[in-house]
Formats: sequence, structure tokens, C-alpha cells
Amino acid sequence: MCSKLFTPLLAIAAMAAGQTPNGHIDIPKDSPVSMVSVDWSGSRATPRGGAYLVDVHASLTLLNASQKHIRGVSLEVLAQEVTPGGKGAVKVPSLDVAPRDSFSVRIDETLLRPLGGGNPDTGPMVEVRLDGVLFDDLSFYGPDKLNSQREMTVWEMEARRDRKYFTALLQTGGRDGLRDAMLASLNRQADARRPGVQVVRGRATNSDPEHEVQFAFLHMPDAPVEPSGGMARVTTNEAWAPRFEVRNLSKRPVSYVEIGWIVKDQTGNEFLAASLPADLNLAPGQGARVLPDATIKFPDRVAIQGMSGFVSSVQFSDGSYWIPSRGTIDQRDLRNVVSPSPEEQRLSQIYIKKGLDALIQELKKF
Amino acid sequence: MTRHAKETDLALFASGDVSRWNKLRINLHLNRCTRCREIAEAYQTDRERLRREASKMPPGVDWEHLAAEMTANIRVGLEAGECVAPRRKRRFPVRRTPVKMGFGWAVASAAVGVTFLIGVALWLNFPSSDREVLGRAFGQLLHGKAIPLSDESGPVVEASSAGIELRENGGALKISQGALHPVAVSVSAQGSASARYVDADTGQMTITSVYVQ
Repeated sequence: MCSKLFTPLLAIAAMAAGQTPNGHIDIPKDSPVSMVSVDWSGSRATPRGGAYLVDVHASLTLLNASQKHIRGVSLEVLAQEVTPGGKGAVKVPSLDVAPRDSFSVRIDETLLRPLGGGNPDTGPMVEVRLDGVLFDDLSFYGPDKLNSQREMTVWEMEARRDRKYFTALLQTGGRDGLRDAMLASLNRQADARRPGVQVVRGRATNSDPEHEVQFAFLHMPDAPVEPSGGMARVTTNEAWAPRFEVRNLSKRPVSYVEIGWIVKDQTGNEFLAASLPADLNLAPGQGARVLPDATIKFPDRVAIQGMSGFVSSVQFSDGSYWIPSRGTIDQRDLRNVVSPSPEEQRLSQIYIKKGLDALIQELKKF
Repeated sequence: MTRHAKETDLALFASGDVSRWNKLRINLHLNRCTRCREIAEAYQTDRERLRREASKMPPGVDWEHLAAEMTANIRVGLEAGECVAPRRKRRFPVRRTPVKMGFGWAVASAAVGVTFLIGVALWLNFPSSDREVLGRAFGQLLHGKAIPLSDESGPVVEASSAGIELRENGGALKISQGALHPVAVSVSAQGSASARYVDADTGQMTITSVYVQ
């Protein structure tokens, strides 16, 4: 009788004190990175109301076991007990890891799952898998389940473009020129405030009257594809069923296009609302209609007044990419809405935190 | 040499629990002392994080199911009460000795009481979105007709200045970089959200993402 009473009480006491969640790192033995160490300290699972609050903190140290410099790494984070249809990722671009050098990747994850779910004896399971490694010659290793190759290659190309731009500024305009460019970049980043945004599949419910709004596509002189005829259904703070046409202006087949979706609110503020990616198969001169199934929703205080778009990246069927040039994104109508590249943000943060000398040293590294 | 503010004062300052004079004094100090400013900001960040976590506390349960279960429990309690015969008029003088409560009444009262207490405790613990689901269930019970669905009926990815989150089926997944704040967030219409973080010490950029499959 007593044991029947105490067993659940002990279980509840153990749960209240916090349980260490189970974590598992899966890096294939033949991969170009190997795991040196992993530290899960600080990870815990505690009951909160009718759910488990699981805090996962993992610090991985990985070694470059290949013969090439690593430029980026992507890790897939799975917590199937919590979000059966979803997953997460941690990606580190703008790396410069020489062969046999090690580097760290930090994962901080918060999960909420029902108390009754999962196996109470093993605790919640978090699994981290290698999704891909990008090298300095833009070759890629990995299962690429998260389209990491495309994403990291575009980031690397943007990083090269921006490092070249800032290095050229340093050479032509000196320290003052670089400082001015950094300050301008930081101002743009600070001005590019945008409200929170939700993405749902299909249509979210909203009783407000709906109407169609046309996209005004911004002219990108060197873009290999031309978008046109864009429309989306809009209520006050929600836009869904975007659709547009693209035409391949280049001489090479196109396999992927990404459009930046800009929204203007009732105050005239324009911000990048979402990206509209589309897998295509466009022969030279051919056009196609793109119909992403998505809804974006802003907080109630936002009233959508207008929409525009621009081509942010293109992948050709031969695996090469197009990204806008620095001159194009510095155009007046794009400058304040296009997000700076991860590398530009990284460099500007180095400038803020460590100063101009540290930034110059960083630009000289690779 | 700058004399640093007491850590307790910084903690109270971060939570807004200091007098006006102390607030002014600490504010002046923070303007010229990076170390104390960082400590105060850390307290504010922790406080904000705790507040966020508490406000979104347990969307980890199938609330629809729970609402139905709670409603059923209340009904069982009420029906147990109805099973006990209505009180008969006593034809004899009321005795001064305490009246023994019937077993059925005791069980019914206990069931209703416990259910009520659990219900109130859970209700107070629910985030507003889940209260809405429960409210809908009770509304359906009372009015006997369907009440329109809330906005979040499927998986949702969200990006805000605080970071990114995937919510689905009462579960939630957030991926961040500890105490760091994102320098930018973005969403893709394919059903993903990303947040960019820069580590001030190492200068390393880390981009976290959540995806709806």
C-alpha cells in the first residue's frame, strides 16, 4: 500500500527536481568533421503546469578532418516527440577552419511537450545530425535534408562579395571610408525594424474583408529572371495565396528562384516580410507561374497597404548561382529593405564590439 | 577608480523595484560603467526571458482533449449529485445531533470540489491561446453550437525580435544561442523561420532555423 503511494510521489518529486534530457549527436564516421567533445551541462527537463519544459544546452567541439578549409557547417536538430512535423537547425556560415583545426558550435533549444508524451524513463530525446559541410572551393558534403547546400553557398557568395566590397573601401577610402560604410550599414540595420511575423500553411482564419493586392516588382538590372504579374489576397494584417510569374532571361536553365516579399504598412514603413522560394525548371526564355501555399500574418497593429518584390537569388541547373551585386542592393529603393548578408552583419558586429582595428584584421584573414 | 554599484541594487533596478532617487543614481552610474550596465542588462534579459517563458507556459498538452475530459468530469460530478434523491421533508423534529452526510453526497461533493480546484489551477496556468480552446469547448457545451476556430489551427512558425519558434499540436520548439539576442530574423513562405546571432567574443555568426515539414 505504502509503496503504491510513494512510487508516484517519488516520481513527481524527481520530475520537479528536474531531469536531464537525453541528447544524441550523430556525425558519420566518414564525414569531413569529427566530434572532439560535447558538453550538455545545464540541460534539464522540468514539469511546468501540464507540460515538460526542456532546456537543451549543447556545446560541440568539431575537428576539420578534411584536407580543405571549411566555410560553413549545418546541423539538423530533431525533437520528434515535441514537434512531430517539425525540426530545427543550427548553421554556422563565414567560418575559416583549416585542416586539423577545431571549432565550436553551440545549440540552445527550448522545448515544451505534454507530460504524458514520450517515454518517462528515458526523458525527452533530442538528436543532432550533421546536415552538411561547405568547403572553400564551394564543394559540399552531407545529406542536405534542409537544403543547406543552397543556403550556405549563397551565404558564402554574399560573404565573398561583401568582404571584397569592404576591403576595396579600405584600400580606396582608408580607415575613414571603412568606418563610414560600417556606420551606414549599422544605421540601415537599425532602421530596418519590422514587426513579428507568423507563417502558416494554407489559410489562417480571419473575418476581416479581403481584397487582392498587386506586387510591384523592383527592377534588378543584372537579374537572370524577371518576375511579373504578382498578386496576393490580403486582409488587414494577413496576406496569403501569393502568386507571380517568372521568366528566364538568361541563356542557362534555371532550377530555383527566391523572391524577397516586401510589405508596406499604414505608416509607409517598408520591410522585408518573407522570402518566396520556388523550385522550377525553366529553360532559357521560358516562363512559369509560381503559387506558394502560404500565409503570413502580422500583429494586429499592422495594416498591409502595399506589396513589392525583388529577385534575391537564382540557382541554375548546372549548380551555379546568381546573387545581386553590391551596386544593385545599394540602389535607393532596395538599400533599406534588403537584409544585409550574414557576413556584413558579422563584420558590423565586430566593428561595434571590438573596433575598427579588429575589423581590419578580420578583413585580412581570408 | 569607479566604484561599482551593488549587485542587489542592479537586480532591483532591473526589476524596477528601486526608489526614484536610487533609480536616478543607478542610471547615472550605468551611463559611465560598462560592467554594471552589462550586469543590469543581463538581469533585464533574464527577467524578460522568464516572463516570456511563463506567459507561454504549457502549450504542451492536447487542450481539446483536456477540455473534453474536464467537462466530462464535471458532468460526472453533477450527475453523481443528481443520483442522490432530493432531500425529503422531515416529519419529525430536527435533531440537535450532527446529521450524517450520505456516502453519495460526499463522493459527489469531493469530485466536484477537486475538479473545480484542478480546473481553476490549470486555467490560471494556461496561456491565453489555450484558454481560448477551453473556452470554446465550454461554450459549445453551454450553447450547444460550434464556435469559430481560432487562428492557430495548424503548425505555425514565428519570427520576432525575441527569436524564432515552431508551435504545433501543443508542443513548441525554440532554437537560440543562450543569452544572445538575434541581430536579424526572417521567414520563408515554405514554412521556416531563421534567426541570426553573432557572438561578440569570437565574432562567430550562428543562424538557427525551425521548419514545418
